[in-house]
Amino acid sequence: MTTPMIKLVDLTKTYRNFKAVDGLSLEVPAGIVFGFLGPNGAGKTTTIRMMAGVLKPTRGRIELNGYDLAARPTEAKRLVGFIPDRPYLYEKLTGMEFLRFIGGLYGMNGGEPPDRKAGELLELFELSDWSNELIESYSHGMKQRLVMCSALLHAPPIIIVDEPMVGLDPKAARLVKNIFRQQAEQGTTVFMSTHSLGVAQEVCDQIAIISKGGIIARGTARELSERAGVFGDLEETFLKLTREPGGIHEEPHPVA
Amino acid sequence: MKNLTLLLSPRFRGARNAFRTAGTRERKRAVFLAALGIAFWAGMFLLSTRVLLYFKEAEIIGDILAHHLLSMVLLTFFSLLVFSHVITALSNFFLSKDLELCHATPASMEEIFLSRYLFTIIDSSWMVLVFGLPVMLSYAYVYNSGPLFFINLLHLGTASVLIAAGLGVLITMILVNVFPAHRTRDIMMLLVIFLVVGFFILFRFLRPERLVDPDAFFSMVQYLSALNAPASPYLPTHWAAEILWHHLSGAPVEDYWFHMALLWNTALALLAVNIWTARAFYYNGFSRAQEAKSRRPGGDLFFRILIRLYTLPLARDTRAMLDKDIRTFFRDNSQWSQLILLAALVVIYLYNFSVLPLERSPIRLEFLQNEIAFLNLGLAGFVLSAIAVRFIFPAVSAEGRAFWIVRSSPLTIRRFLWGKYILYLPPMLFLGEVLIIITNNLLQVTPLMMWLLSITMFFSIFGVVAMGVGFGALYPRFVYENIAQVSTGFGGVVYMMVSTLFMAAVILLEAGPVYILFMAGIRNQTVTVLNWLIIVPAFCLVLALQAYAVVKPMRMGVRALTSD
Repeated sequence: MTTPMIKLVDLTKTYRNFKAVDGLSLEVPAGIVFGFLGPNGAGKTTTIRMMAGVLKPTRGRIELNGYDLAARPTEAKRLVGFIPDRPYLYEKLTGMEFLRFIGGLYGMNGGEPPDRKAGELLELFELSDWSNELIESYSHGMKQRLVMCSALLHAPPIIIVDEPMVGLDPKAARLVKNIFRQQAEQGTTVFMSTHSLGVAQEVCDQIAIISKGGIIARGTARELSERAGVFGDLEETFLKLTREPGGIHEEPHPVA
Repeated sequence: MKNLTLLLSPRFRGARNAFRTAGTRERKRAVFLAALGIAFWAGMFLLSTRVLLYFKEAEIIGDILAHHLLSMVLLTFFSLLVFSHVITALSNFFLSKDLELCHATPASMEEIFLSRYLFTIIDSSWMVLVFGLPVMLSYAYVYNSGPLFFINLLHLGTASVLIAAGLGVLITMILVNVFPAHRTRDIMMLLVIFLVVGFFILFRFLRPERLVDPDAFFSMVQYLSALNAPASPYLPTHWAAEILWHHLSGAPVEDYWFHMALLWNTALALLAVNIWTARAFYYNGFSRAQEAKSRRPGGDLFFRILIRLYTLPLARDTRAMLDKDIRTFFRDNSQWSQLILLAALVVIYLYNFSVLPLERSPIRLEFLQNEIAFLNLGLAGFVLSAIAVRFIFPAVSAEGRAFWIVRSSPLTIRRFLWGKYILYLPPMLFLGEVLIIITNNLLQVTPLMMWLLSITMFFSIFGVVAMGVGFGALYPRFVYENIAQVSTGFGGVVYMMVSTLFMAAVILLEAGPVYILFMAGIRNQTVTVLNWLIIVPAFCLVLALQAYAVVKPMRMGVRALTSD
């Protein structure tokens, strides 16, 4: 049996008396785009921040390509390109300097190769004209595109992305969707949280729905719709599943 | 004006909610800070009372001195208040994040302006209560004043604050409308820093200590005439000082009611002028301040050489961090501009040593020079701690909201913190040695003392820097409007206290051995075996303490940042 690219075991995060993520377990294989859906406050961002190593779990384990994130953080993090929902960056660096900085952090050798790769990515995300401007002069969408460049720079086998389409114009959103699909076809695992059900339906191979800190349903968009008894429309499926306590596990629906 | 109370309410409700929802940790911090504040108040009160009682003993000139000091204190506070209002007005009127929301509501421009005016007064005037009240209370105590002094202090103080606020807000509004929008903040900040530095240096070079030293004047007549020279009759502080002095000393005062009317009229007139000016210019200034920044970074060659030299022996990831930190520091005006203040501080520090009247001391000169040099170790250590609290303590917090990049990267927190340590150690070593060597040269200490103090300072700096980085990691603050706010918080106070205690412990441990070695040198005696039994363990303890000061805070910092 092959090692799952992402493995979450009994993942729990408690803030004082509130359980944001409650015993979440999940395995994601290599080479797919995995959608992570849920209503506001369901625990999506907390889960993603724990997977990226930004937040420490109260309990549970995260394995990235077999590396335990808690025991071997350096090796595990080297495999990940993380794109957060709010792109806070070093405002006083230029776009190119920021990419060089990221290249250094992820152990890319200095000199021409990372610069060339950075240049290609800036070109791809239409930021070449702004590469020598300070990031403080970038718009929200430009910062989001720059973070995507930085996440792809070291060619990671796992991309973890929180709400990727926020702040992007339709052209950039289309570009990002295409890139995620290409990456998955080349063997990269893309773990993506999104509010946009259209995006999930269009891009994701598999989807998990999270509610109140736990996963209530998992499968392809079609499988989920069928299990919820709502045919074809992911929005209806989502609303139905998240409305019901315990999701489909508590009250299973007949499969058509 | 119904919207005015609504516009004011978020700030007050926010404060009330923060108080209600504060956890045990926050409450403990508040109690600690309150205790520290009360101790400071008591210290200020005792010091002022002692000075005033000393003045009162001098028969002819005592009251004149106290009167003069009152005018000077009021003028100093008034100047600081105007500066403080300029800075807080810029933030409250033009840069605060909630302004966009306020301007989008149907609230009138005057309502928004007045609400911000009040916020500016509150933000700027707390320091008058902290620093000014104990001085005024000591005046009341020493001169046994009646209730009229307190009543006048309250309303004249209010009027003076209103005048300072009026001037500060007016200056800010004019500057924001004159300078190009995206440069306003930078230019204003530099302007204010240069003014503060200029004011500070001027004040120090005037050597106000001579005021209490009549020998420094050619004759008593010249001295008294210098003291009696009236402050400018056009200054609001002069009007307030005359009335307050009348209630303290019972001395007759001319134009009592006229001065009071002048003060209040000026305060209210400035408020009216500000409202008129705001109607014409506030919205325009606000709009200009919102315009996007678009600046190209300059001095790339300078950065490249500096960074290359600095990071040559380091690994790739740490090098990337340092590269980023150096660039960010020199591009952020709120950071590098503080170097101007630092330079002023160093110049004044060294100047003070050059004008020490050692030759007039009854103690033997050679002994005194070396004793002062030894105590200077503590003073220089304190100066370095003050610099570290401003530059090194905020180093972790300076990552700001972008800290997620470090946390999600393969760089471990341990390497991240040691990277910061490596960045700040060389400049601090340089600065510390410059302070010690130049002051020791000015004091003409013995070669033994020169070596001993330079080496002690050298190794102590390793601890001062590690504590700065470590405590900065223990008390990080990633969300702020200005990085300078990070140093003034609870963690900064704790760091200053611990760092000062560390230097005090080093001095205490070395005091005995240094005395033995120094006296043996002066008397041309050999150091006995018994003496060495005291000296060697003491120096070993100092070294152990310095090593502990490096390792412990860094470990605490790593643990704190990895535990979330």
